[in-house]
Amino acid sequence: MLLTDTFQAAQRSLLRNKGRSLLTMLGVIIGVGSVVLMTSVGASMEKLILGQISSIGAKSMVIFPGTSEGAEGAIMAGFDSLTFEDITALEKLSTITSVAPGIMMGVNAATYGREETEPRVIGTVPNYFKNREVTIEHGRLLEESDVRAARNVAVIGSEIADDLFGRQHPIGKRIKLGARSYEVIGTLESIGTQFFQNADEFVFIPMTTARAQNAQKYVNIISLQTVGDFDLAQSDVESLLRRRHGIVNPDEDPDKDDFMVRTSAQANDILGSVSLGLTLFIATVAGISLIVGGIGIMNIMLVAVTERTREIGLRKAVGAKRRDILLQFLVEAVLITVTAGIIGIICGISLAVLIAAIADKLLPTYDFAVSYPSIGVALAMAFSVGLGFGIYPARKAARLSPMNALRYE
Amino acid sequence: MPKKKKPSAVPLIETRSLTKSYFSEELETPVLHGIDLTINEEEFVSIMGPSGSGKSTLMHILGFLDQPTTGKYLFRGEPTRTMTDDELAAIRATRVSFVFQAFNLLPRTTVLDNVMLPLLYHPTIPASEREERSMNAIAAVDLTDRATYFTNQLSGGQQQRVAMARALVTDPDVIFADEPTGNLDSKSGNQVMEVLQGLHDQGGRTIILVTHEESTAAHAKRIIHLLDGNVSSDSKQFKQISAKKNNNLKK
Repeated sequence: MLLTDTFQAAQRSLLRNKGRSLLTMLGVIIGVGSVVLMTSVGASMEKLILGQISSIGAKSMVIFPGTSEGAEGAIMAGFDSLTFEDITALEKLSTITSVAPGIMMGVNAATYGREETEPRVIGTVPNYFKNREVTIEHGRLLEESDVRAARNVAVIGSEIADDLFGRQHPIGKRIKLGARSYEVIGTLESIGTQFFQNADEFVFIPMTTARAQNAQKYVNIISLQTVGDFDLAQSDVESLLRRRHGIVNPDEDPDKDDFMVRTSAQANDILGSVSLGLTLFIATVAGISLIVGGIGIMNIMLVAVTERTREIGLRKAVGAKRRDILLQFLVEAVLITVTAGIIGIICGISLAVLIAAIADKLLPTYDFAVSYPSIGVALAMAFSVGLGFGIYPARKAARLSPMNALRYE
Repeated sequence: MPKKKKPSAVPLIETRSLTKSYFSEELETPVLHGIDLTINEEEFVSIMGPSGSGKSTLMHILGFLDQPTTGKYLFRGEPTRTMTDDELAAIRATRVSFVFQAFNLLPRTTVLDNVMLPLLYHPTIPASEREERSMNAIAAVDLTDRATYFTNQLSGGQQQRVAMARALVTDPDVIFADEPTGNLDSKSGNQVMEVLQGLHDQGGRTIILVTHEESTAAHAKRIIHLLDGNVSSDSKQFKQISAKKNNNLKK
């Protein structure tokens, strides 16, 4: 029997039982569809986070106080391991071109008239904006003169601007941070989440203004810009801080340090392990659902073999070899799963597009993305499920004795 | 489709001490006890007997749907006992064909596709000839105007004629008809027998008819009676019933 004939025969018998074929496919459609959907959403998330990490810049790093245990990379007040003397020492390193410390203010509310919002207030220096590649939307950034004169001025994130001013022009207006009043000199472009924090809800005031209020001797964040070999700069920074803090750490065990250095490469690593975990999770779910779908297919194929015993007998009586029957049923099973796989892929992508459309409203930087390898893997899995679970019923059909099959009631 | 092959000196079918037993859980149930038969080309033979006489089993063995337990079965002088599954399938595809009591047509499939089915498994007939051959076979049973109908839209007699066209399409050496009128009323049964007789009388085909009905068996030129797995009589039939005449009388 020609292969095209086998295909045609398989196709016809599937079309003869459209309803049942579709129900059989459902398991595989859901399995493949969810794989494609989940990996697609995963890819979008990865793109979203990667985009933010890359905004840190390949040449910059951020140092936080504390050990790497606890909230990953979060700016936490209350750790006093990084001091202004550390800043002075870091500025002297030849591999570092720009150092910008930041101190967090314990301010819970920002108000303008009746409007109120919850900001994260950070006292810092102009370099900070350069190191973090933050760009101004209206007005101006903090300048050296603001710091020297300890002016009561503030640069506000886009979300703060929205919350307090709505459509009004914020530049020149005065807002209250806690008890004090500040003049808004600039608003920032929307950054989105940076280092797992919403960068748009920050308010930046001059370092000197901040210290005048709380006389804090330690810093909560240091932003650095490096020059030359990045790894060399990182080890320079780490060994300098260890020496100054009296930490003996030849193994470079981050748990022994009282500070954390964060780079975009590191963030990539963290993201990589997160997305590996996600992939494994999806693969497990997909594997289970495909096995369930495959068992469904085996079940239906076994029913089909029983139901079509006389047809098998007839085909054998008119000259079909075992191989012909085996192939016909195998092709049927594979045709079911691959068709279901294709439908599943289409459904998965459509849903991912839908989710992207909805997410775009909530997360402006969320983009639709498709994980192309997952489509290939899903299709290959659908194919092998058909082959794997089709072989038993197909063999059963092929081994029927023509006479017994013909007599089957 | 008239046959062009000349009858050869070697008998088409020859069995010597052919036996068949069925085994279930070590229990042997003998069905055929030493059948000696010779059937030549262009014969029209009825195999008759009551149910349980082994006539269907004999037909299945002669038609290569089953293998004998002991004894010899020579087809065109060639022994068939040692044939493999695939060789038997090839013989079924090219040499023999069947008309069954229950028609055994594919449901929700057209007449043409049903008739074409054996050609899908034929080793030598090219795909390009399938349709023409099938249409010729359909014309031979007078169903040309029904070729595109689904088989379940046809009457029983028409369905059996489709089955006969399917049996013809590969141009086999012998057609086995297993109770072909068993599921039909007498009128359609007669029409089927008329086609069968025509295939033999005008087409020169070898036909082996299996039936338990005396009146059906009497359409053949030779009747072999089976009883309890043995040939009880084998006789030439001189007063052959003509299905055509019967049909004309009924009209």
